[in-house]
Amino acid sequence: MTASTNLRPAGVQSRIPAAGHGTAGWWVVAEQECRDLWLSGRGPLLLFAFSVLLSVMTYLTASNQVLNFLEQREAVGLTLQIAVAVGALVTLLVSADAISGERERGTLENVLLAPVSRRTIIVGKFVSALSLWLVAFVVSVPYVWVLGRGVSVVGQALLLGLVVGTLLAVALAALGLLISGVSNSNKVSLSVSLFLLFALFAPTQLPTGLPQGWFGDLLLRLNPVGAGLHYITAVLVDGHAWTRDVSYLASPLVTAVLAGGALTFASSRVLRLTAGVSGA
Amino acid sequence: MKILLAVTAILLAMLAGAALAPRTAAAAPGTVAVMLTPSQLNIVMGERFTIRARFVNPSAAATEPLIADLNVASLTGVYVDLEDWSVSRTHDLVPIAPGGSAALSWDIQAVNAGSFDVYIVLLPHGPASAGAGPLVASPPVHVTVAGRRALNAGGALPIAVIVPVLLGLAAAGARYRLRRTA
Repeated sequence: MTASTNLRPAGVQSRIPAAGHGTAGWWVVAEQECRDLWLSGRGPLLLFAFSVLLSVMTYLTASNQVLNFLEQREAVGLTLQIAVAVGALVTLLVSADAISGERERGTLENVLLAPVSRRTIIVGKFVSALSLWLVAFVVSVPYVWVLGRGVSVVGQALLLGLVVGTLLAVALAALGLLISGVSNSNKVSLSVSLFLLFALFAPTQLPTGLPQGWFGDLLLRLNPVGAGLHYITAVLVDGHAWTRDVSYLASPLVTAVLAGGALTFASSRVLRLTAGVSGA
Repeated sequence: MKILLAVTAILLAMLAGAALAPRTAAAAPGTVAVMLTPSQLNIVMGERFTIRARFVNPSAAATEPLIADLNVASLTGVYVDLEDWSVSRTHDLVPIAPGGSAALSWDIQAVNAGSFDVYIVLLPHGPASAGAGPLVASPPVHVTVAGRRALNAGGALPIAVIVPVLLGLAAAGARYRLRRTA
C-alpha cells in the first residue's frame, strides 16, 4: 500500500467500500468497477452493438447465396473470429477509459482513497474489463451453435474461442490500462487505443491464402490479433491439431506478460493524479 | 588464293561444327510426362481437395525451367473463376535432371456445383524457349461437385433477432434505472 492511500483526509469517503474479513481487496474493487460498467448502461450498450454485428454476420453467412459456398466449418470460423476480435477489441476500449477517464472525471482521487494498494486497484479494473469479454463470449455462444450444429464442431469452436479470446482480451486489457495510465487525457488514451485497434485489426483483413514470404509471416506472428485469429482458422477450418500451430499464440502471450508485468511493476506511476486534470 | 581457300575452309568447318555439335542439351517440355492424382473426385460444393502432380523427365537431357499452370474447365457451362478455386495457380518448376522427377501440389476449393476437368499445363520458361512451346497438358482429373445449401437461414433468423432484442431491452432497462436513481 502506498503512502498516499493511507493519508485519507478526515471526512472524505472512497466510493470503493472497505474490504470485509476474508474478502480480497481486488475483489471488492472489481465488484465496484463491474457495477459501474454494467449498471451505468455502458456495458449493456456495447453488448447490444456487439450482438447486432454478430446477428448481421450470422444471417448473411447463413442466407447469402454468394457466401453460401462456405463450408459449415468456415462459417463457424468466420463468426467465431469476428466474436473474438470484436470482443477483445471492445475490452481494449473499455480498459483505455478505466484510469484516464476517472482522472478526467475527477473521480480518481476517490478511488485512491480506498484502503487498498494501487496494484490492487489496477487488478480490480483489469478484472472488470475482462468481464466484458466473458459476457461477450457468452453472447456469441448461440450464434456459433446455430451455424455449427450438425457437424460436431460447436464444442471445439467454443473452447477455441474461449482460450484464444481470453488470451487476447488479457493482452489487450493490460495494454489498454497501460495506455490509459500514462495518457494525460482521456482523449489521448482513447485515440491511441483506437489507432492501436485499427493497426492490429487491419492486417487481418488481407487475403490469407496468398503466399506472403517470411516477412509477411513474421508480421502475422508479431500481431497478437492476427496471430490469434490465424490459430483459430488453422485449428477449426484447416483441421490442424491444437499443438501444430501453437507458436502463433506466442505474441498474444508475450503481449499479455509484458503489458501485465509493466502494469504490476509500475502501478504507482500508472495510477497517479495529474496536476490540473480534473472534471470538477 | 591458297590463303583465301584455307580461310574459307576453316569458316565452313566452324559452321559445320557448330551445326553438328550437340546443343547443351535441354529436353523439350514435350518429353516430360505428367501424372495427376487422384484421377477423379466426387465432392460437395465448398469442399477442399488437393491435386498432386508428378513430373517425370525420361529423356537423357535435363529440362529447361518450366511453369506448371493449373486449369479448371467446366463441362456443364458453369462460369469458372479460377481465382476463387485456387489462390496459387502457377508454380515454377526447376530443371528436372535426366531420368529424374519432381512433384507439386495444388490446394483447391470447389466453389461451383457441376462437372469439371482439372488439368495442369507445362510451359517452357527458359531464356530461349519461353513463349515458344510446345506445351504439355496432363490428363484431366474429373471432378463432380454436388450442390448444396450448407446452412439453414431459417434456423439462424430467430437467434439473429432474439439475442439483440433481449440485450437491447437489458441496455434500455439499465439506462432507465440509472435515470430514475440519478
